[in-house]
Parts: sequence; structure tokens; C-alpha cells
Amino acid sequence: MIRGIYAVLVIDLKRFWLDRARMIMGLAQPLLYLFVLGAGIGSSSLQGGANYQRFIFPGVLALSMLFTATFAAISIVFDRQIGFFKAVLVAPVPRPAIALGKVAAGAVQAAIQGLIVLPFAPLVSVHLGMIETVELLGSMTLACITFSAIGVAFASRFNSVTVFPIVSNAVLLPMFFLSGALYPLEKAPDWMKLAAHADPVAYAVDLMRGAVLHTFFFPVWLSLAVLTGVIAVLTYSGVQVLKRGEDDSSLGASKFTWK
Amino acid sequence: MNPTPPEASLKNAPAVEVRALVKRYEKVEALRGIDLTVQPGEMFALLGPNGAGKTTLFSILATLRAPTEGGAKVLGLDVVAERDAVRRAMGIVFQEPAIEQRLTGRDNLVLMGLFYGLSSSSAKKRAAEIIGDLGLADVADRPAKTLSGGQRRKLELARALVCNPRILFLDEATLGLDVDARRAFWAQVSALTAAGRTVFFTTHYMEEAEVANRIALIDAGRIVALGTPRELKTQVGGGVVNLKTDDDAKARLWLTEHGFTPEKTASELMIIHADPASILPELLRNLPVKVQRVSVHEPSLEDVFLKLTGRGFGGDKPDGPPGGGRRPPGRGGEA
Repeated sequence: MIRGIYAVLVIDLKRFWLDRARMIMGLAQPLLYLFVLGAGIGSSSLQGGANYQRFIFPGVLALSMLFTATFAAISIVFDRQIGFFKAVLVAPVPRPAIALGKVAAGAVQAAIQGLIVLPFAPLVSVHLGMIETVELLGSMTLACITFSAIGVAFASRFNSVTVFPIVSNAVLLPMFFLSGALYPLEKAPDWMKLAAHADPVAYAVDLMRGAVLHTFFFPVWLSLAVLTGVIAVLTYSGVQVLKRGEDDSSLGASKFTWK
Repeated sequence: MNPTPPEASLKNAPAVEVRALVKRYEKVEALRGIDLTVQPGEMFALLGPNGAGKTTLFSILATLRAPTEGGAKVLGLDVVAERDAVRRAMGIVFQEPAIEQRLTGRDNLVLMGLFYGLSSSSAKKRAAEIIGDLGLADVADRPAKTLSGGQRRKLELARALVCNPRILFLDEATLGLDVDARRAFWAQVSALTAAGRTVFFTTHYMEEAEVANRIALIDAGRIVALGTPRELKTQVGGGVVNLKTDDDAKARLWLTEHGFTPEKTASELMIIHADPASILPELLRNLPVKVQRVSVHEPSLEDVFLKLTGRGFGGDKPDGPPGGGRRPPGRGGEA
């Protein structure tokens, strides 16, 4: 089991490394949010430019990690289409190990992407002391695993890469926008506050923001509980999908057939 | 399933044992009752047109699909109940590439080793061994996608050998390769069987099936014939001997007297016999005329298939020759 998880992790990270150009390209999106959108909105809002950028910094970190993690999860869909995973499927690897390895691999990739964005913190007046850094890294870790579990839970159900961008727009963007990453949830309309309670990304952003700015929207214990719960439930569901695939070699994705 | 301990059953069991195997998909019945036994060390070919059920049977043996009815064992291990043990004992080359093209061959092999539970260092050692054995040393450290088609197939074979399997499954493993590369590939496989491995392969290249010890012809989800290449061909009515003598009329008379049924063609005598190779020495020794030229044609496996199913191999022949019609109505397809 552990060996299987490790093997999945190694292959995915090797492939991630082959695509390291993507890592750099992946910086464009958070930096655009931070320095263009952030500066623009900041200068026209009550909070003032630098303050706003500082405010959205954890949200932008989350954005970067969320998209990296879900993109990493798409590899499940790709793997089904190339033969490579067929070779893995006939190796004595328990199906749950594949799901767990995918969650781990996505989380590590998201973390790397997050760590690349992190050095830009001082440029938006986010100054991190020892304790803040530890708290931030801790909440980033939790966020990465959550986002990866979200990605795997979705990707494991799809058999076509083409539908994935549609889903990610229909699911990821709403989750991001409702998370309070770009605005304070305190001042949002009630329905949005309510919706944010159902959005795991909101808890992740709130934890990270709390580590940086020391203000929380959700109680810390609630955020920790929700994220842990989300990880457990989604990972379990991803495992179940792959297990279901034991007898049809499609890893359980609907309608998918190898030939 | 099996009361004997796995070790004992592994040693004496047939390499592949299929009993009353049926596989139904939603709409089609891909396998309609297959029985099959492959002995250890055998090179066994499964031959049939597309849609005959080859891939379904292959997938079941490869533990990628479960049977609807009946059962299958590989090396005495049930492909459903003892799935993981089967997986540990077999190597598979798929029709489609199953190596990560952007990684080097060596990386691919090491990774596969990890999937088989080897530690990093033993996986590296094992990869180096196989690379040496298969003569891939020159190309093992280049990204797989830069290799030639033949080299890539060899790499697939190497991947299947990572777990040092006692049985090797090859599914249309040489599809798309040129003749030379195919020959090289099969030479490699023959070398592997020499070491006592069982090889079970599917193909629709006739000449590839000829290298097998035994062949099962499969059509519409049933095995229509099973035997050595030679047996299969005698089933169709043996072969053809063509004779050219200095006195064909005299030769014909003699042949008829000795129980043969010679027919005169434009310039030769033609004898159809169940086993032409065995009668030839006698003919040459005893014919009271001088033989100027002799040739023997074996019927091809395609002739066998044609005779048994009424259809050619490559595709549909709605007006098959007589002898067809044994095919059950409603041909099963593969999903």
C-alpha cells in the first residue's frame, strides 16, 4: 500500500518536473491577480492599494494552489487515455493506493506552486515573522491536501479531458469567488456569507489569511474540522470510484472503456 | 477456491486454465463459453478477427475484467479471487504503448519496479538487468518517445519483464511494426520462452501465430479450433502436392491404383492429401516415372479459419464458401 502510494507519487512528480516550465507559467496567474487586479481594485477601494494587495495575498496563494492541484488531478483522466495506467492496473497495486497517491502528488505539486508565490509576499507588504510563517505553512499544507482531494474526487469520475475545463469553470471559479479570497466575507451580502459556509476553499483562505493578518471569519477549530472532514470524505469517495473500477478496468469512470 | 497451498498449486498447475467462461457486456455476449488449457512453457496463440473476443478473453486473464460466468486461472491462481497473486506472477505487453513516453526507458522500468513493490535500489538493479538482457543499453537513457517503433516495443517487453514473470501475455504486441522489427521482437520472445516462461499471445498476423506451439482460433466468442499449427491445417484437409513428371499419364494411373486421387492441372498433377509431407517420400521412391519437379503447399491458417467460419480473416465475406454457416447468428462484438 505504502509502496504503491509512493510509486504513484514518484511518477507524478517526475512528470511534474518534466513540465517545470508550467510551474513558471503558473506564476503568471497569481501575479496578475496580485499586482494588476490587486493594484487596480485596491487604488479604487476604501482599503487603499497596499492594504488590499496585502489582504488578497492569502487568497491569491489559494488560487494558485487550487488550480495547480486540480490540474494535477486531471492526470487521472489522461492516464486512463494513455496505456500507461493499464500497466499500473495490472501491477499488484491496491486501487486505494492509486487514489491516495494521486491526492498526495497533487498536494505536493500545489505546495510547490504555493511556495513559488510566497517570496512575493514582501512586495505586497506581507511581512512574516517566525510564528506567522509556521502558521501559514501549516494552513497551506492543509489547503493543498484539501484542493488535491477536491481535484481527485472530480477527476476520478471523468473519462474525457475535454469536459474537465468546463467543470473546473463551473465548480472551481464559483468556489474561488465565494471563498472571500478577493473581498472580506464580513462585508459580503448574507447569501454569500451563507454560501461561503458550504465552500471548503473559504475555510482554507480564512485559515491562511488568519495566519498572515490575524483576523478570522470562521472560528479556527471550525476551519480545521471542515477541512479535515472534506479531505476525509473526498479522498474516501475517490478511493471508492477507483475501487469500483476493479472489474471494468476503467477505474470506475462512467462510460469509459479502454477500447 | 483451491485447497492446496499456493506454492504447490503454482508448481503443478496449468499456466492458463479457462472453464466455461462467459462474458456479457450490456448488449453483446463477447465470450460464449470458452474452455482452454495452456501448459507451462507453452507458446500459445489466440488468433481471430477483430471483435471475435480476443481482447475480452485477454483482459479477463490479465485481471482487468471479471468473468460473467465460469472462471479462469493463471498459474493455478483464480483471476478474481487471487487477483493480486496473479498480478505479481504475470507480465503483460499491451497493444497500445504503456510506457511514459517523456521519461527514459530506464526511468520507466524503475518506476514499474516500484509499482511491483521493489525498493528504489532493487528497482534500479532490476532495470539495469533487463536493459542488459534485452540489449537496450544504448537507448535506455533517452526519452522513450525518441526511440524507433521496434525499440519502443522492446521497451514494452522490458517493462513486462520487470516482475520476472513466469507467464507473459502479449496483446497484438507487434501491431504497426515493420517486418524486420516484428521478427526481432519474436526472436526476443522465443529466447524468453526458452528460459521456461509461458507465453500467451493474441495476434491477427497469421505468420506470427505460426511460431506458437498451439493456436486457438476464436470467432464470435467461441473457440472454433485448437491445436498445433500443423494439426489445424490438416483439419482443413491437409495440403497440396504438385508433381511434374516425364510421363504424367503413367504417373496418374499409378497414383490412382495406390489409393490417391490425383487431378490433372494444366501442366502438373495435383494431389490433395491430409498430410502431404508424410506421403511425399513414398511417392518419390515408388513412382514408376521420373519426377521433374515437386512442390508442397500447406493450407494457410487463413484457409483453416475460412473453412471453419465461412469468412475470411481480414473482414467480412458475406458469400462464404460452403462449409460456412457454422457461425452462430448474431456475432458478438467487443466493447
